[in-house]
Amino acid sequence: MMSKTVILELINIAKCYDFPDVTETHYVLRDVTLQVTAGESVAIVGPSGSGKSTLLNIIGTLDSPTSGRVLLEGEDFSKFNDKELATIRNREIGFVFQLHHLLPQCTVLENVLVPTLVNANRFSKKETETRARRLLERVGLEWRLSHRPGQLSGGERQRVAVVRALINNPKLLLADEPTGSLDRAAADNLAQILVELNREEGVTIILVTHSLNLAERMERVLELRDGILVPQGGRA
Amino acid sequence: MTTWTLVKRGLRFYWRTHLGVMMGAAVAAAILVGALVVGDSVRHSLKILALSRLGEVQLALAPQNRYFRAELADDLAAALNAATAPVLVLPGIAANSDGTARANRVQTLGVDERFWDLSAGKATLDGSLSDEESLQPPLIQEEVFLSERLAMQLDVRAGEEILLRVEKPNLLSRDAPLSTDADSSVAMRLLVKMIVSDLNFGRFSLQANQVAPFNAFVSLQWLQKRAGIPDRANMLLIGDSSKGKLTPAIADEMLRRYWQLADADLELRELPEQGVVELRTGTVFLDPPAALAAERAMPDAFGILTYFVNELRCGDRATPYSMVAAIDKCMDDNGKSANLIPPDMGDGEILINAWLAEDLQAKPGDTLELRYFVFGPMRKLEEQTSSFRIRSVLPTEGAAADRELTPMFPGLSDAENCRDWQPGIPIDLDKIREKDEEYWDLYRGTPKAFVTLTAGQRMWGNRFGNLTAIRYPLANYELFQRRERVGENESWKTSRLKDIEESIKRELNPASIGLFFRPVREQALKASAQGIDFGQLFLGLSFFLIVAALLLTGLLFVFGVEQRAEEVGTLLALGFPPSRVRRLLLLEGGALAIIGGLLGTGAGVWYTKTVLYALSTVWRNAIGGGAPLHYYANPSTLIVGAVAGVVSALLAIWSTLRRQGKSPARELLNSGADTASSLSMPKLAESRFGLWVALGAVVGTVVVLLLVDEDKGAMTAFFISGALLLIGGIGFSQALLAALARATAKIRLKLSNLGLRNSARRIGRSLATIGLLACGSFLIIAIGANRHNPNQDVERRSSGTGGFALFAESTLPVLRDLNSDEGREAYSIDSEDLEGVAVVPIRVHDGDDASCLNLNRAQTPRLLGIRPEELQARNAFTFVKTIPIEAGHPIEYERSASAGENPWLLLNRKENDNTVTAISDEATITWALGKKVGDTLPYIDERGNTFNIQIVGTVANSIFQGGLLISEDEFVTRFPSESGYRMFLIDAPWENVEVVSKTLSRALQDVGMEITPTAQRLAEFNAVQNTYLSIFQLLGGLALLLGSAGLGIVVLRNVMERRSELALLRAVGFERRSIRWLVLSEHCLLLLLGLASGAVAGLVAVLPALRSPGADVPYVSLTMTLLAVFSSGALWTWIATMFATRGPLLAALRNE
Repeated sequence: MMSKTVILELINIAKCYDFPDVTETHYVLRDVTLQVTAGESVAIVGPSGSGKSTLLNIIGTLDSPTSGRVLLEGEDFSKFNDKELATIRNREIGFVFQLHHLLPQCTVLENVLVPTLVNANRFSKKETETRARRLLERVGLEWRLSHRPGQLSGGERQRVAVVRALINNPKLLLADEPTGSLDRAAADNLAQILVELNREEGVTIILVTHSLNLAERMERVLELRDGILVPQGGRA
Repeated sequence: MTTWTLVKRGLRFYWRTHLGVMMGAAVAAAILVGALVVGDSVRHSLKILALSRLGEVQLALAPQNRYFRAELADDLAAALNAATAPVLVLPGIAANSDGTARANRVQTLGVDERFWDLSAGKATLDGSLSDEESLQPPLIQEEVFLSERLAMQLDVRAGEEILLRVEKPNLLSRDAPLSTDADSSVAMRLLVKMIVSDLNFGRFSLQANQVAPFNAFVSLQWLQKRAGIPDRANMLLIGDSSKGKLTPAIADEMLRRYWQLADADLELRELPEQGVVELRTGTVFLDPPAALAAERAMPDAFGILTYFVNELRCGDRATPYSMVAAIDKCMDDNGKSANLIPPDMGDGEILINAWLAEDLQAKPGDTLELRYFVFGPMRKLEEQTSSFRIRSVLPTEGAAADRELTPMFPGLSDAENCRDWQPGIPIDLDKIREKDEEYWDLYRGTPKAFVTLTAGQRMWGNRFGNLTAIRYPLANYELFQRRERVGENESWKTSRLKDIEESIKRELNPASIGLFFRPVREQALKASAQGIDFGQLFLGLSFFLIVAALLLTGLLFVFGVEQRAEEVGTLLALGFPPSRVRRLLLLEGGALAIIGGLLGTGAGVWYTKTVLYALSTVWRNAIGGGAPLHYYANPSTLIVGAVAGVVSALLAIWSTLRRQGKSPARELLNSGADTASSLSMPKLAESRFGLWVALGAVVGTVVVLLLVDEDKGAMTAFFISGALLLIGGIGFSQALLAALARATAKIRLKLSNLGLRNSARRIGRSLATIGLLACGSFLIIAIGANRHNPNQDVERRSSGTGGFALFAESTLPVLRDLNSDEGREAYSIDSEDLEGVAVVPIRVHDGDDASCLNLNRAQTPRLLGIRPEELQARNAFTFVKTIPIEAGHPIEYERSASAGENPWLLLNRKENDNTVTAISDEATITWALGKKVGDTLPYIDERGNTFNIQIVGTVANSIFQGGLLISEDEFVTRFPSESGYRMFLIDAPWENVEVVSKTLSRALQDVGMEITPTAQRLAEFNAVQNTYLSIFQLLGGLALLLGSAGLGIVVLRNVMERRSELALLRAVGFERRSIRWLVLSEHCLLLLLGLASGAVAGLVAVLPALRSPGADVPYVSLTMTLLAVFSSGALWTWIATMFATRGPLLAALRNE
């Protein structure tokens, strides 16, 4: 069996904060090391305040570690400037947040296409639009194309957010509590979609969640405890 | 999906938020466009006025007190192929038939149809008049056309009668020796045939004043006849030439070719008996330039000065009232004298005729004493005596009995008997004996004695000239030569006369006697184009309003963007670089700015019309009250205004966007929940920075005030200090807020210090509020302190009235000294009525009004000749600035009289022959003339010579606005033919001012004396300034309104952001009232800080103004205004608080 390519590698990631009038440094992440292979789906769980979102933000270049390295396909993030990181975020990474963060002024289709505006020349307009329609159809929203986010249910909004995250064909999909604001049925539906997309589109998924139900649908479940990442049920 | 789609979606979706931004941009653009178009409109209106007052007139020849041939106009019309018109202009006084309405300073114009041909009918910009309308019915004798303003003043209509008294020209200046002041005016009853519209020469005037003159038009021929100068004119107008653009140089060149001696009041005649050709003048004394040219014209010319003496005395015998001639020595080629003065005669010797020798029993070697009057200022006579040794006695025949030696003295030469003499000097007719009458019968004014010209000029030379004739002897040898060549005596005579005339004309430049053309149209257009720039003025006045609108635009936009923080975060998370996000928002803002700018441009037009309407009504004083204003917008101005509006709004938006996109995406995405927690405690350094700024400002203020000598740069220094303190105040506020935040964080939490802590929550926002209010209150104080009350301290010499109670102007010159009993008697004034009254007379050379009542830029301002000693002695007025007594930089004087220096005598300073020193009102120099102390401006005297007027000093806020004061000595040198005085400053007992005013007005009615209390004159000038201040205050008020609205928005935004926090307070049991009070109190701190910073800084900045004469600081209304601002701010805060805390607050908590 051919070994799978490592797409993401976290090496000794630490993140700490200094507070005024407090002499001790507060560590959110202490020594996180992780390898994720292409097409893998990973769930990170842990109690509130354990640093799950911080870790996801570091992976997604929205934050930087205090120490340690993040490598995406072997490229160290620390070598890139803000502009290059923005490009990586746009091309290689897709984000799904707990709140959908759709632009209320745009239609469903337009919301999906927003990421394509950053580098309009990368794909042809027709190509991206076809892809957007296909993905929306895939998540069952083909009849909602010209609707505004205000006209959608919570689950539908989140599905649009997932499609938006995939529109630029990213290698990595990061989801931060994607079902956190959804009811059970909608959450199940979204979980199913993520699993299917992972399989069908071959996109690597890393998600952080409180939901064990969602986590268990991922290939690997890791737990963030005391700033260290361990397999679920394992010891820190 | 494109970027533009995203922008369009944003614009449409957030239209409610954007509406405010757009309105802010529209207001800023409207004010900008409006201010600029007001400038266009005023300029355009002034241009219309200039063109309507001058019609098609391009050039004008308007010599001082000189009456040339009216036919000169025809000669030049043919030569230049241009329309010309001769005009006789005389000052007059008009009254309606029952005497119930009067008008002084009426410009009486004798005109014919050629004048109307040049009228504005064809020249109006809008072409509103047809040619038919511009045609005037011919004027015949005893008919008059009145200008609209004069008809309105007199309340007469066509068909009614008026009385018009005009000055009767006297060729010999009424100031000149032996000139008479009798018969100085002529009265006429005239039928008003027509009222002439402003557009059709009703406003005709050569002076660039926008207040319409009182014009009365009568028939040229008829006025010439009534004024006793048939076929003469004193103004020549030239219109367009078909040959191309006419310049003064071209016209002057033609004038030199076509002028005749008669145009200079010169007459050349042959006196066969005397064997001479003689040049003489109707003005008695030959003008010095004419005399000089005439002497140069022929080598053998000799001058004569004949004078009237009161007495010739030899021992105890005296002969009264005789003529004595001073004759220049002249020798022929044989070395013999060509006249009766021997070549070796000394200046102390005198020749007498036999009649006189017999009368005085005098013989050669005896001493003969001459007594004669010389004229001082105000026609003051001084009898002087000169003694001569009698050289010989001449028989009363031949050259010694030459009655032609005596010029035509008015009141003397044409008298049949000695007892009919009416010279301009007092004579005692009782002294005239029978033998004097016999001499008059036999010899008329034949001189009885003869002295050398040098001796005569020493005694009788004056500013009008020192020759009464120049003679060219017909030497015998020339006579024979000519006879042989020409062969006929008559032809020779003609030839000789022509030779001399041509030679004189060659030597004499007509410009040197005042005959030169001025480019009046060019000057008028220049005066209107360079007039007060209302565009800039309104931009300045509206500055605060524009800034407030832009602040509001920026504030609303940034709040809109802040509301969309989550969207910004999403875009950043999706890989949009921050610059791209900012560009997206800027595109949205740009679209808003453009839409706002376009809307504002439209609104600006409406705003302009409103301002113009206000300037024609409630703000009438700001434009001197005279000129109608027409709306006019130059397309380029609209474009510039619109672009400036859009760019300003864009800059305001851009400045707020610089910080957007800099926050990390993760923070922005969580902004709804984390805005409050993302605010950090102000660092110690921040609080120290504010403190350093405040300290630096205070130190700077102290240094500025210590370094700058209070006597010299007080105003600037205090203003800089005020500005420094304003900055310091804002710095202090920042330090205070930061310190509060730090201090209250450490103390036990109470609701009261929670409010204080909140004030410091967003220091930038709080400082913007403080800054806006501080600037507003600073301006309010600065405006208030600069208001002048004309009635304040008017009795003080240091005030703008100079301590004079009355100011008077006359239409016709006053020739007598109103301080002397004789002078008062001449005008039938009882000296008792004028007890304690002293009059300072001022000579006037008319020119453009350079006061703030005239919007045009004065090109040739009015000159006033005064004896500086009169003002020096009174220590009158307060100097703002003078040039230093020694060389160096200008210095500022203490603005109060206590400095003891009153440098009026600078007017006597002689820099060089070509420079005359002048003092005027500070506003006149700065604003009307655009000059400063030390500057010079060129001026042309009545002989066409250009000289420089150097401004050597300015006085503060005075009644001298509009003119330049020069010394009387310089005045009479430069304008010798300006006779008498036409302006007066009157010292009168304050309790008796009204009686004095009535007495003088009544007595001097015939000279058109108009007397106004000095306080009233000052009030008219102050009204302009005070109106500007009112406009400023109104626009400033609107700005404060916008500022208050901005404050309201800040409060609303602050409260909305903290809705959940306030909800929490509600949830834990605080009453809604307590929460409102909390919000209100924290914003009141900002209000107080803003007002206090502005008020303190404002008071320091205007300290010098508070001490200036007439300063009238309305402390009560200022305090009320500041209170009103505070209340308005508190009201907005209250409204915002109520709005933000209404409804179920707890719902906000649930939304969390």
